[in-house]
Amino acid sequence: MSDTGTSDVIGRRVEVNGELATVRFSGIVPPVAGLWLGVEWDNPERGKHDGSHEGTVYFKCRHPTGGSFIRPNKVNFGIDFLTAVKNRYILEDGPEEDGKEQVVVIGNKPVETIGFDSVIKQQSELSKLQDISLRSCAVSGAGDKGGIAKACPNIRKIDLSKNLLSSWEEVICIADQLQHLEVLNLSENKLKFPSVSPPLTGTFSSLKVLVLNRTGITWAEVLQCASAWPVLEELYLESDNICISERPTDVLQMVKLLDLSSNQSIDENQLFLIAYLPRLEQLILSNTGISSIHFPDAEIGCKTSMFPSLQYLVVNDNRISQWSFINELEKLQRLQALSCLRNPLTAASPDSKEAQTTRQLIIAKIGQLKTLNKCEVLPEERRGAELDYRKAFGSDWKKAGGHQDPDKNRPSEDFLAAHPRFQLLCLKYGAPEDAEFQIQQPFMLKNQLLTLKIKYLNEMDQKVLEKQLPDSMTVQKVKGLLSRLLKVPVSELQLSYESPKVSCPAKCKANPSSPLLASDSSCLPVTLTANGITCLPGSVPVVLFLTGRVHRTCFVRSVLILSPSTFVLILDAGQRNYTRK
Amino acid sequence: MTLLMLSKNTCLVLTYNGLFQRECLSIHIGQAGIQIGDACWELYCLEHGIQPDGILLDSKQHQLENANMEHMSTSFNTFFCETRAGNHVPRALFMDLEPTVIDGIRTGKYRSLFHPEQLVSGKEDAANNYARGRYSVGSEIIDLVLERIRKLAEQCSGLQGFLIFRSFGGGTGSGFTSLLMEQLSAEYSRKTKLEFAVYPAPRISTAVVEPYNSILTTHSTIEHLDCAFMVDNEALYDICHHKLGVERPSYANINRLIGQVVSSITASLRFEGPLNVDLIEFQTNLVPYPRIHFPMTTFAPIISAEKTYHVQPSVSDITAACFELSNQLVKCNPQLGKYMACCLLYRGDVIPKDVNAAIAAVKSRNSVQFVDWCPTGFKVGVNNHPPEVMPGGDLAKLRRAVCMLSNTTAIVEAWARLDHKFDLMYAKRAFLHWYIQEGMEQGEFSEAREDLAALEKDYEEVGHSS
Repeated sequence: MSDTGTSDVIGRRVEVNGELATVRFSGIVPPVAGLWLGVEWDNPERGKHDGSHEGTVYFKCRHPTGGSFIRPNKVNFGIDFLTAVKNRYILEDGPEEDGKEQVVVIGNKPVETIGFDSVIKQQSELSKLQDISLRSCAVSGAGDKGGIAKACPNIRKIDLSKNLLSSWEEVICIADQLQHLEVLNLSENKLKFPSVSPPLTGTFSSLKVLVLNRTGITWAEVLQCASAWPVLEELYLESDNICISERPTDVLQMVKLLDLSSNQSIDENQLFLIAYLPRLEQLILSNTGISSIHFPDAEIGCKTSMFPSLQYLVVNDNRISQWSFINELEKLQRLQALSCLRNPLTAASPDSKEAQTTRQLIIAKIGQLKTLNKCEVLPEERRGAELDYRKAFGSDWKKAGGHQDPDKNRPSEDFLAAHPRFQLLCLKYGAPEDAEFQIQQPFMLKNQLLTLKIKYLNEMDQKVLEKQLPDSMTVQKVKGLLSRLLKVPVSELQLSYESPKVSCPAKCKANPSSPLLASDSSCLPVTLTANGITCLPGSVPVVLFLTGRVHRTCFVRSVLILSPSTFVLILDAGQRNYTRK
Repeated sequence: MTLLMLSKNTCLVLTYNGLFQRECLSIHIGQAGIQIGDACWELYCLEHGIQPDGILLDSKQHQLENANMEHMSTSFNTFFCETRAGNHVPRALFMDLEPTVIDGIRTGKYRSLFHPEQLVSGKEDAANNYARGRYSVGSEIIDLVLERIRKLAEQCSGLQGFLIFRSFGGGTGSGFTSLLMEQLSAEYSRKTKLEFAVYPAPRISTAVVEPYNSILTTHSTIEHLDCAFMVDNEALYDICHHKLGVERPSYANINRLIGQVVSSITASLRFEGPLNVDLIEFQTNLVPYPRIHFPMTTFAPIISAEKTYHVQPSVSDITAACFELSNQLVKCNPQLGKYMACCLLYRGDVIPKDVNAAIAAVKSRNSVQFVDWCPTGFKVGVNNHPPEVMPGGDLAKLRRAVCMLSNTTAIVEAWARLDHKFDLMYAKRAFLHWYIQEGMEQGEFSEAREDLAALEKDYEEVGHSS
């Protein structure tokens, strides 16, 4: 193939029967005569030894069976860039034969082709090619200087993945000749990167996308080379065993997308080093084994200054098992989309009830999230999720010191740390009522009954009647029942009730907040709309107030506490135009 | 037996005249049709560098001039009409019997792309009822729709045909389409009429009467359509869920995927000059008998956006993927049937010799069985333009993709499934009153069902070795 005599082959990438390897040794291996190349295979199972033969160490391998000795004539050292382009895009047959297209017959049926002539013609005009792919074409170098610039100067996108490029300098030689290069894919080339910053030549002046998946590049090398990528927007570093070791200063400032998936050694401390990239919008951390994150600069409920532009975060296939991870994400200023699939936290099968609950919790915990696992979060879904969350953790909140009265509301630090948005949600929807904490009972008549305490205020002794009624009973029916019980005509019955949410005894006199009149058509429990309370769940004891006469004109006659949970009685005379004071 | 009767529609105008554009009119009917249309035109605009207001993106045009591709700047005029002001208006009509879905377009991002006359909506919906879509409600709006279609057709120098987008299950999609197709084939008898249809999924269903609607509409449009490309919601749902990592796919996710497939199929009509009849050429292969015109669609590769650049499938990879069940857009098993035709439409960076190698590999690996009476096997086309993806969408940016259209006898499985569901309900005459009270006769049901039975039989017969 090419010269193999001297030591300059060491470090070169070679291909042998489709397997890729790096040359580590060249010379004589006694007792067998002749020149041998010692190679380290990319696939460690392909080799036989670790570079030593009969006790002599010729070269070293990372893997004990990663090495082999091979005769130089069996090794393909690769071809130059331009030859590869020509091989791929220009038919070997040349123009003489192009009239007769080869007809492929498969089985006993020919394959008809359409438009192949024109495609071949178009592709063979190398100077017009913009987007080329040379994957697995055994490209090892740039070839003659200036040759690429002359033949195909318009290239904007190159896929050079899985080739035999051995060093970053070769890449520079190729890229140097391509003024318009915007997308460069160098995946699966085991490149040797320079240890010092290469001189700035303006080679990658328009490069926007760089793909370095499975190249074995280190973070330090990325930073060394990065000064040459002034406008780079997307950087892909999948499966590179990256360990972020230092903070990028003055480089990578334009990067919008960073793919760090399948780098198993990334942890939260390393992420802080890239936390101040000003434009980073999308961060892909799939399959990195990350399990926790904590932004130390922000208190609970505050926003962090880290990742100032981050909009989309992908943390699929990780080891996230704690809700604190999700709580911390709430601190990001711009986070709009999250993908968090196949983590211990979200591992339940996707259609199950638990998965739904997990989704709801994530939505409730991250306020500005617009897309979760690629599904849009619609306003109704958010509202439902937040209400459920508020209810589900209401009793914890109460135990931790929460209180419906804002003055007494002192939830513990622990609770706030576990539920940073809870207080905010209480403000948004009102604090949860005691009755909401009750766990739903199985469906039995016994559990469906409400205990009503009924007071007939016209009677001087104010005797309290207690009745158990099903919650599906309409007010009309209740009135009928009461009229029979109390022997008052239905038309003269006026019911009113109040829940502790609406007013508390102390404030009642000052502000007789309107007792909500139960209308005949509504069910018991009646929906309350004042002060943001939407409904009373099933088993709230409701207190009814009765007046026999319609023409009474007092607003608040008496206030009574019936139980420790401060039920308030307000007597209303039932005049039509009830006015608030 | 209509099997061996040649339909008049198969005599297609195949000559290409450089002076004429060969325009295609897209007609989007009902909720499904409109939402698919929304996704398709969004993608077409991206591919041709047309901004949401219809103005061509300057930098893109600059690039095109650079590359000296003079064909390209005009060839998308088969789908877009350029106004004097320089706006590009899609050659498309959106119609629905009720306004909410179309209002989504009227107020959406692409509202100024369309002329208001292209968006037709009635006031009363078809309520998933074929009879309402076709007779009672549909007949009130049909004249308006035909008039708008005539207007669009007048703007064409050489109208090539119609692309109809709809679902089988909905009332408007099934009922109104059959009414419209009758009128169209009377008025434009020599124009090609292709259809992209959402077929009721085996397990997911939006309306209980889907089987009635589907069978009634298949019966009434089978004579008028030249080719119907089928997709089903369940297959699409599974692709979105398993391959793209969408937790709970919505219609928006599904429609973007359909958009990508439609774009691949129509790419040959929208890009470059001399080849822009080739979809019609493929259709000639795909439809051996006028009634056997329901090719199955398959798309590869399907890679989720966050895995961009993680894998770079080669031509042989994507070709092999076309024969995997998980890439099919219709749930049925092609192993159980025989292929009558198999068209592979490649786009992007594809080298002809790779294609030949890839097809040879597929043949040796898979049991791809062809009927013995068909002279050719595969038909292959290549288009240079790589697929575009919507920024922020679910699909990864691809260098190359392939869409396979295959007419296989296995699709009879899908018809049989539908017929069975129809029979279950019809045996008890369930839900029939909804149709009768809109003026339909019971005879129409049994007639349609018999026609479908004949279609199943047709498929069986073409599969037999002679």
